[in-house]
Amino acid sequence: MKKMYTLPAAFLASSLLLTGCAGFQTGNSNDSATENEDGKVVLDFWTFWGSEIRRPVIEKIITDFNESQDEIEVQHTYLPWGDIWTKELAAIAAGDPPDVVINDINTTALRGEQNQAMNLAEFLSEDDISGQFYPELWDATLYEGDSYGIPFNTDTRVLFYNKDAFEEAGLDPEQPPATWDELEEYAAKLDVKNGDDYERIGFYPLWGINYDVWMLNANGHNFINGDNEVLIDTETNLETLEWLKGWKDKYGDDVINSYKAQIDSQQGNPFFNGSLGMYVSAPTFYTQIRDYADDLNFGVAKLPEMEPGNGHTSWGGGFVAEIPAGASNPEASYEFIKYLTGAEAQEYWAVQNFDNVANIEAAENAAESDEFTEDGTMVYSMATEYMRDTLLTPVPVSAPDFMGSVNPKIDEVFLGSKTPKQALEEAQADVESLVEKNTRE
Amino acid sequence: MAKTKSAMRRKETMYGYIFVMPWIIGFLAFTAGPLLFSLFASFTNYNITSQMDFVGTENYQGLFTEDGLFWTSLWNTLYYVLFSVPLTTIGAIFLSALLNQDVPGIRVFRTLYYLPAVLSGVGVYLLWMQLLDPGTGMINLVLGWFGIDGPNWLFDPAWTKPSLIFMKLWSVGGAMLLYLASMQGVSKTLYEAAEIDGANTFRKFFHITLPMITPVIFFDVVTSLIGGFQIFQEAYVMSSNGEGGPANSLLFYNLYMWRQAFENFNMGYAMAMSWILFIIVFILTMINLKLAPRWVHYEGGDNR
Repeated sequence: MKKMYTLPAAFLASSLLLTGCAGFQTGNSNDSATENEDGKVVLDFWTFWGSEIRRPVIEKIITDFNESQDEIEVQHTYLPWGDIWTKELAAIAAGDPPDVVINDINTTALRGEQNQAMNLAEFLSEDDISGQFYPELWDATLYEGDSYGIPFNTDTRVLFYNKDAFEEAGLDPEQPPATWDELEEYAAKLDVKNGDDYERIGFYPLWGINYDVWMLNANGHNFINGDNEVLIDTETNLETLEWLKGWKDKYGDDVINSYKAQIDSQQGNPFFNGSLGMYVSAPTFYTQIRDYADDLNFGVAKLPEMEPGNGHTSWGGGFVAEIPAGASNPEASYEFIKYLTGAEAQEYWAVQNFDNVANIEAAENAAESDEFTEDGTMVYSMATEYMRDTLLTPVPVSAPDFMGSVNPKIDEVFLGSKTPKQALEEAQADVESLVEKNTRE
Repeated sequence: MAKTKSAMRRKETMYGYIFVMPWIIGFLAFTAGPLLFSLFASFTNYNITSQMDFVGTENYQGLFTEDGLFWTSLWNTLYYVLFSVPLTTIGAIFLSALLNQDVPGIRVFRTLYYLPAVLSGVGVYLLWMQLLDPGTGMINLVLGWFGIDGPNWLFDPAWTKPSLIFMKLWSVGGAMLLYLASMQGVSKTLYEAAEIDGANTFRKFFHITLPMITPVIFFDVVTSLIGGFQIFQEAYVMSSNGEGGPANSLLFYNLYMWRQAFENFNMGYAMAMSWILFIIVFILTMINLKLAPRWVHYEGGDNR
């Protein structure tokens, strides 16, 4: 009886102790799982592209890569948006990260500083591919001069306008507004009121984008510059904020809220049925027009400039492919990233997804693709051309979360509890002290 | 004889330890270990990947003296707990009293009122965002029928927290079920005796039902207090940009902690925050436990 128990119990206890200990081991770079039976290096590639549309496209790119050579085999792991980066961080901390991951471009430098992403300088010094990408995107990946991720895709913000509504209001449908004044003037002409209710709203600047895009448009630069100088409480920003507040007061909360809800519902976007004359959105908004309002006669234009000569600066974001710190096969990972961000794969992605890509050659080829409709080509080529005026807002390493201090102050302007001047002064002071606090050590 | 007996006892004790080993190892590795680690990390500038220097009480000092958002988030969380805990408790008791009637079709109602407790998570929050929409939402539409101009709910800082508290009331089904079960456990003889003495429904409720279910009320208050302090998801999904807006009115403690940990990578700072929260909740729970003997009634048992 005794003997019967002792052995299994001892086995149980010791195996538990062993598994317990294994938890404390850091990742093993000679992990057998990184090689398959054919002797190929196996890479684990994490993306959040799991939708019906995107997943087949990325998987085709992976298959093409795997077939193109006989040393590396890439495997795709889909992780849902919202989970992927906390999981990646945990994996890096545990010493067993994926080999390649798709991550947000605006925080690439921060991950470089924090040792979460691998410095790619070594690979780039041998084989400089930086010239293939839009400079603004490339610069966003740099921390202290070295790149920590290769740009994959991007976007910009453009003005969509309803040509039929323009004609109805006596405006030239081929002449979209070029300045803020014109924007206001056109919007007023496009407004159609029936008693107290609006049948059509010409334009409202804060649907589709936020106040910060208009400030970027007016300034042509970010809130914090490379020298950690905080540029929030400026004359231009004050003027912009007052201008935006003017629109809010013109239409009033009730109208704005009820329209906003329709815009958020996607299919019900008032731009589709002509009850909104102009709307700012990313170029991919075209695919919604295509799906929900095929007959709409629309045009696209750059964001109007604050005043003539000020520049039509727009805002964009995007994603990079990066190698997490501590990945086991960086050479192979880089090889795959090069393919992923190369002209061929990028063009395929661009055409299949109607998405702006980071590779200039691919973007320009895609703009001429005959897979797009006439409208699609119009939007895509305009967006491609517009990349030159598009800025990114990489988070400053000195204060990554600084918008969390600015947004609440600006909220109060629109809620009427602060004047634009007060809000900007307070935000400036808050962010200055944040930067000062974080750069003190 | 005595010797073999003690040897056997030792053996038995050893087996005992071996059998609880899985739990002990699990506890040490996955609960106590991380707990101690986070306590230590709260005194460092830990950022997960590259640094972990001892900084003493700097994180704690910074929180109390330099960080306005710390106080904002603490206040928001307290506000939420202060209103949501009593309201959901009263709501659940009220509902279960109604559902404790012996009328035809009561099972259907019980199921209906419990249903929201089964649904949870982001889907429900998205649904509520539509309901609470000031322009096109159902709630303001219904208020409009009565000539009431509904508030801007999630867009007005004065109404954002009440909105979430209001939403919380929708999911009292879980607590309601506990109350219902405990109400059904109240001995019929008590009610019969009261009826003979001429007690009406209200007297029976306040003098029999309510005292008899105090242990469940106590349990519910303690758990929802702890849960209330941990509010995160609602604000993450329903506030503007997930940042706790408008105007920081939904910046709850855990949301701010999350931002410090995963957006700023100030993990040490975030851990200091989590220990402060732990102490606050611990003290409040202790107060609850101390006060409990004054109002919690255990049938047939010693109160202390």
